[in-house]
This record gives sequence, structure tokens and C-alpha cells, in this order.
Amino acid sequence: MIALARKTLVYEWRRFLPVVVSIGFSGVLLLVQAALVLGIFGSASLYVTASSGDLWVGYPGTQSVNFGRAVSPDLPMRLRMDPAVTAVEPYLWVDADWAAERSAGNVSVYVSGISTQRDAMMFSRLLPAALRERLREPGAVIVDPADLDTLAVETGGRAWINAHPVRVVGTLAGLRGLGGVNILTSLDTAAAIGGRGVDDGATYYLARTADAAAAQAAHDRLRRPDSRFGPYEVWTAQAFAERTQRYWLVDTGAGVAVLFMSIIVCAVGALITGQSLGAAIASSAREYATLNAMGLSRGTMVRVVLEQAAWLGGVGVVLAALAGTALLVVAHAHQVPVAMTPLVGLACVGVVAVLVLLSSVSAVRRQLDIEPAMLLR
Amino acid sequence: MPATHSWTTPDAGPHGALPTIEARALSKSFSTGAQRVDVLREVSVSVLPGELTLVAGPSGCGKSTLLALLSGLQAPDGGSVVACGEDLSTLSRRERERFRLKTSAFVFQNFNLFPALTSLEQVQLALSCMGIDRAESARRAQEALEEVGMGHRLRMRPAELSGGEKQRVAIARALAKQPRLLFADEPTSALDAASGQVVIDLLHRIARAHGSTVLCVSHDPRLLRHADRVIEMEDGSLLADRRLTPPPSPAASACAHPSAVSTAVSAAVSAALPVTPATPAISNP
Repeated sequence: MIALARKTLVYEWRRFLPVVVSIGFSGVLLLVQAALVLGIFGSASLYVTASSGDLWVGYPGTQSVNFGRAVSPDLPMRLRMDPAVTAVEPYLWVDADWAAERSAGNVSVYVSGISTQRDAMMFSRLLPAALRERLREPGAVIVDPADLDTLAVETGGRAWINAHPVRVVGTLAGLRGLGGVNILTSLDTAAAIGGRGVDDGATYYLARTADAAAAQAAHDRLRRPDSRFGPYEVWTAQAFAERTQRYWLVDTGAGVAVLFMSIIVCAVGALITGQSLGAAIASSAREYATLNAMGLSRGTMVRVVLEQAAWLGGVGVVLAALAGTALLVVAHAHQVPVAMTPLVGLACVGVVAVLVLLSSVSAVRRQLDIEPAMLLR
Repeated sequence: MPATHSWTTPDAGPHGALPTIEARALSKSFSTGAQRVDVLREVSVSVLPGELTLVAGPSGCGKSTLLALLSGLQAPDGGSVVACGEDLSTLSRRERERFRLKTSAFVFQNFNLFPALTSLEQVQLALSCMGIDRAESARRAQEALEEVGMGHRLRMRPAELSGGEKQRVAIARALAKQPRLLFADEPTSALDAASGQVVIDLLHRIARAHGSTVLCVSHDPRLLRHADRVIEMEDGSLLADRRLTPPPSPAASACAHPSAVSTAVSAAVSAALPVTPATPAISNP
């Protein structure tokens, strides 16, 4: 059969351009919304995902990384007793106040005390070794460049955290977190800022294992409670990251608001797609009626309509992918918290495809009732 | 010009032969809100093959509805329609679609060509719907277009054709199917005098030379003069049924002098064609 659907789309591209743009717009809405959700709530678990620790040990019931409490200083021994564990590292979390030289007010900050060893696990995926070494200077801190204005400081400048003098020795993009400003410093500086002694336990202990399978096995062994080491809970890195993200997404007002907004975005996208596709299909009503008058079955008409919808959806999705990618690149360049994974990208494409399919099925159902007698004047 | 031939069965010619369409007590009404309008009131009519039958009447008299019922585009509320041996009034929608595909062709006032298809593709589409392969459909499509004098416009799309040329492509689309029944709804209303005359001649030829049953709805006085039979309607009923020309003999209607007819019509097509400038092609960016 003559490729009527495709030829019509190509020849009358101006008529169908609004539909393609609408589908593309819906796709961009979905992609950007998904990227923002992943980026914003992904940053809540930045401490875990930017680190290479396979296991995290912290206070039982900790809902999110930022809610950690001190655990026993003997826990490293407990971890090293497991044959799968190859390295153990402390991590200190301190809620503190930042006061700058040229600012009257204070800023709430999250201080992360990390190891300054070259092979340290904390922030190993984000922090270059050379920059990490600068933290060996007492009072040295690293901040995100996007937070310099908030902190009213520049690189090399001085400030106070909990009245403890610090100096900004460098900046690291990608440190921006959810809910507050992140500051990196050494374990010793963090302990001083937090008023902790040498014998006080860390907020978390990270453990490295040989591989993921070993990590899971070690997790299963270590999660059995041992009262000799005080209260603690063990998570795999992935589980702890998901736990943190889930808390912010589902258990906070901000998360629920974002989820609600995502639903609205999907609904708006569906409405825009449905309306424009429906209008385009309806504008071809006479052509479908002519095909039916010629003797083509309604099943054939449906195939023509769905083929057109598939082409429109395909071009719209490509447009959405290109425009969405460009937008995300621009957002990333301006330190907007966006993140995307291939799976989420494919899911967005799938949602748009489903929207197009449902819209076209809905629109074609209306066309099935068309009487070819409408062609008679 | 390709030789023409009759597509009808040998015994289906006019002048005593069986009618191809027989309608008995046809009724049809439409509801608009709470109001019900009777468009056809127990209309009975028989239509013979090999001649141009015209249904005329004022606007709203029910002639288009009668055409819709006789062609199987719609089902009647009451009465029966038997066309080519099939009782259309008892067929399901799908069965009527199959009947139209196999037996009928349509020519509409607004041409109803597909904007994206060339003249050749317009006709090929109709043939491919019938399961004819691409090569054969291309051959038959070209043949049909040449028969209506559009052999030099095969690659042009409707936007590049005049009204008369579009209608000729629509007729070629109908012709290529070799239909036993051809239904035309106001085929000349949107055309100028010269183009209209070409269309009338083509419809007449399809009836006479190919033996098809050609049923037209029109109030064009030019068609009135050329019809073999005129059925007048008013207010959903038949008012008059008069024959303007004696029905041709079965032999004359089937394959009589096909080359002569073809030559004559071809000459008529050429003579009737005005020298009009080609429609400027619309360029796509």
C-alpha cells in the first residue's frame, strides 16, 4: 500500500509541526523534571555516592546521612575482624555555624571531616588527591564555588566555624547539598569544630571490601548485633544512599511537593500531547472518511493513524532528547543540581511514547465513528 | 489511447436487462436533539447499467442521502437496497466496506484527493487497497490517467493542479478500479464550464463504453442535458422519473467501438481543455 501516513507527514510537515513541538515539549518537561528530582535529591546522598566505601556503619535507624550520631570508637575493630573488609575509615559529620569576616550574620553549614590520605574513601569520586592533601593544613576547608557568595568568602579567605578559625584552601564543584552548605575539612579540624575528643567515636565508619559480592556478604555478617561495640547499624553504600534519598523525597514536605509537581508535569504533558495529536488527527477526518468510502476497513484506518502517531512521537522524542540534553548541559554549567541516568532517560522516552499511544488511540476512536457519507457535500 | 472494455457481466446491460441497483421503500431520518427529520420517505427506484442516471432536486430534498444509501455509505432505517445482487440493507458496516471496495467508486464535489500524493499515487492507492501489486497498480493507474487526459500530470500533486484536473484525477481513481457502480456527488459544481464538460463526457463514457452504472447527484443544468435519465426529488420523495435518451443496446453499451469512443472522448477532452497556465508548484522549504 502507498505509504500514505509517511508521505502525508513529510509533505504537510507544517500542519504537523505543532504536534511534534508539543510532544517534544512534553518530553523536555519530563526529562528536565526527572533530572531535577534526581539532581536535587541525589545531592542528599552525595556523601555516599561521591565516596567509594562499600559499607557504611552508623547509628541505628539513621534516616539520612545528615542525621548521623556518634557511634562507638571500637567499631573499626569490629569491622576489621571481618575477613572481607580491607580498609576502614572514619567520617565526622558536624552541624555548625559559619561566620565570615565581611558578613554580619551566620550561615548554617554541614562540616564533613574526612581522611586526608591519598587512598581515602570519603569523596574519592569527587575530590582530587592534590586538593585533599591541602586539608592537612590545620583549619583548612574546601567549599563549593557556588557557595562562595553565600559564605561571603573567597578562595584563600578566612572565616570562623563555631568560632574556630578556618581558611578556604580550595573550591570543589559538585559539593552543593540539599538543605545546607557543605564544607570539607580534615578529621582533626572537624573534631575541633565539633568539640570532640580523640577517643570519641566518628559519626560513620566506612569499610572497603574486595568487590560488591564480598560487600554484601560482609554486610550480612556484620549486621548481626554485637553489644560489645554499642548500638550500630550496617548498610551497603547503595542501600544507605537510597535510604537517604527516599527520606528526602517521601518523608519531607519538599519531597512531597516535588513529587506532586512531577505528577502535574506528567498530566500537563499528557494533556498537551493529547490535545495537539487529537487536533492533528481530527484535521485529517476527511481523508480517513475518503479511505473508508473507497472501501478500506476501519482497521486499516486505525493502522494509518497509529503509524502517523508513531512517526510524530518518534520525531517528538528525538526533539525532546536534543532539547532536553542541551538544557541539562546549560543547567549543569550553571551549577543547577541536575542528574540523569540512561535508565531514567529511557523511562522518560517510554512515558512520552505511552502518552502518544494513548492519545492516538483515544483520537482514533473518535474517527472510527465518522460516517463516510459526510463527504457528500 | 488504451482500448476500453466493459467491466460489467454480459447480461447486465440496459434496455431490458436487470437493474444493478434496486431500492424498495427506502426510509432514512436524522435526529437533531429532540427533533427528528425524515430525509427519505419510502423511496423506490431502480438504476440500470450502461447509462448516466441523474438525481436532481432542490437543496435538502434528500438526493445525497439517497446516494449514500444506494452506494452503501450508510444503512437505511427502513426498506431495502439490492446492488449487484447484494442486499446492502442487511450488511454490516464491514461488509458494506468490502462491497464498496470490490464494486463501487466515488467522485466527490470536493475531489477528496490526498494532498501528499501525486496523481499516479492517488490512483495507485485505490488499487493497492484492492490487493493489486505495485507494478500492476502503477500500470493501471497510468492507463486510467491517460484515459482522462492526465497522462502528462502523473507526478503532480493536487496543489499543482487546477480544479478540472483534480476532478479528472478523481475520476481516474474511480476508473482504475473498473467499478460496476460509480457514484458521483455534484461532480461539476466546483468546475468551470470547460472542465465541467470534460467531466460530464468522461462520466458518460464510463457508463456507455465501460457499461458501468453511473449515478450522479447534481443540480448542474449541464449534467441535466447530458443525462440519459433524470430522477427528480422533492422533500424526500421521488417527484418524476424521465428518460431523456433511449437506452443503448447491450452490445452498444458494452464494447461498442471502444477505440472510436476513446478517440472521440480523447478529442473531446483535448478540445474542452482550456489553455490555462499551470498552477505554480508550491515549494517546500
